Amino acid sequence: MGHLNAESLARLVDDAPRPDEIEHLAECRACSSELEALRAQTRALGALPEIRPPLGDWEVLEARLRSEGLIEEPGLLARLTLAQTPPWMRAAAAVALFFGGTMFGVTAASDGSPIAALVGGAEEPGMVAQAANLDDAASAVRVAEQGYVDALARYRQLLEDNGSSEDAASGDPRSRYAALEYLVAAGQAAVRQAPADPFLNGLLASTLAEREVTLRRISTRRGNWF
Amino acid sequence: MTESQVIRQAADGDARAIRTLYDRYAPRVFAVVRRIAGDDELAQDYAQEAWIRAIRALPSFRGDSRFSTWLHRIAVNAALQALRRAETRRKREAPFPAEIPVGPRGGDTLLQRRLERALDTLPEGMRRVLILHDVEGYTHEEIGDALGVTAGTSKSQLFKARAKMRELLTVLDGATEESGAEAWGI
Repeated sequence: MGHLNAESLARLVDDAPRPDEIEHLAECRACSSELEALRAQTRALGALPEIRPPLGDWEVLEARLRSEGLIEEPGLLARLTLAQTPPWMRAAAAVALFFGGTMFGVTAASDGSPIAALVGGAEEPGMVAQAANLDDAASAVRVAEQGYVDALARYRQLLEDNGSSEDAASGDPRSRYAALEYLVAAGQAAVRQAPADPFLNGLLASTLAEREVTLRRISTRRGNWF
Repeated sequence: MTESQVIRQAADGDARAIRTLYDRYAPRVFAVVRRIAGDDELAQDYAQEAWIRAIRALPSFRGDSRFSTWLHRIAVNAALQALRRAETRRKREAPFPAEIPVGPRGGDTLLQRRLERALDTLPEGMRRVLILHDVEGYTHEEIGDALGVTAGTSKSQLFKARAKMRELLTVLDGATEESGAEAWGI
């Protein structure tokens, strides 16, 4: 019997060989080796791993699902209520608010500077506590966000007025930029998970703005190369 | 939250639930579609189509089979139908490429890369049968149903495809470097 052809060998990966084939395979090293290689090939094909889709695939799909009405647009309630927010996210928000408030308080109280006067601007908890409906609550969120941005701007201005550099207060800008990069990536991931979450969107927007400011500061310090 | 709860929420259009299903199964869906398509760009289109179909059909998913199996079938059918449509449009038989395309892969071994490259170069008919049988574990009867051919035709195509793969891999390896079972480290 001559050598087994390729298709016969491929068949023997699954099927039992006939007696003449058994006899030939026992004698022919080339055919038995080729059959073993085909078996190994088949095993390897069966063990091929999954393949991750390209980056941005979900965003494209999500847009299509929305355009076809297969994803429910979140209502106002869903956008504003924290009831549907996962516990970890609520905890993260609470921690962020706690540390943010603490840092602000420490900064304001540490040197008795006019910054302390800013604390007065935050004395509007009644507005939040008295919010009786979602519109009021949303409005309180916007006011608080604006208040934070204003306070930060004022803080920077007062630092300059007092002859302190912001670098001294916030550390090396390059390290800061690296940390902000990390936060931006985390923020973007979080917003993808919960695109309508006002806290996460606000956090991401602030982080992006801070990153831009820090980048500008690095560029200014470095001076022009030309 | 259990998978059936996630599926129910996804069927109601909950974005987060749909995203959960996507995160869990997208690599599996993309893998089968990519291998059937033999092309990255086509694969992305076909995978998207598979997901759209699956999300649309979710309300009719009753849990008779595992969700992963159900989704996998949808992905295979979506890819096969899309290929058929493309074939009808182009009226072409896949030409044997002069160059071997190398698609992006993450974290795979040299052997897996060689297999993927060889798969990409197989003629479409052979590739489909080989992927469905040897990669995805379909029976010849199931392949016959999916492709509209007899189980015998599927078998015959499979043997041809395996032999062709072996030939391609030998070419890819460089015939002088490796041969026979040594190429597989056995």
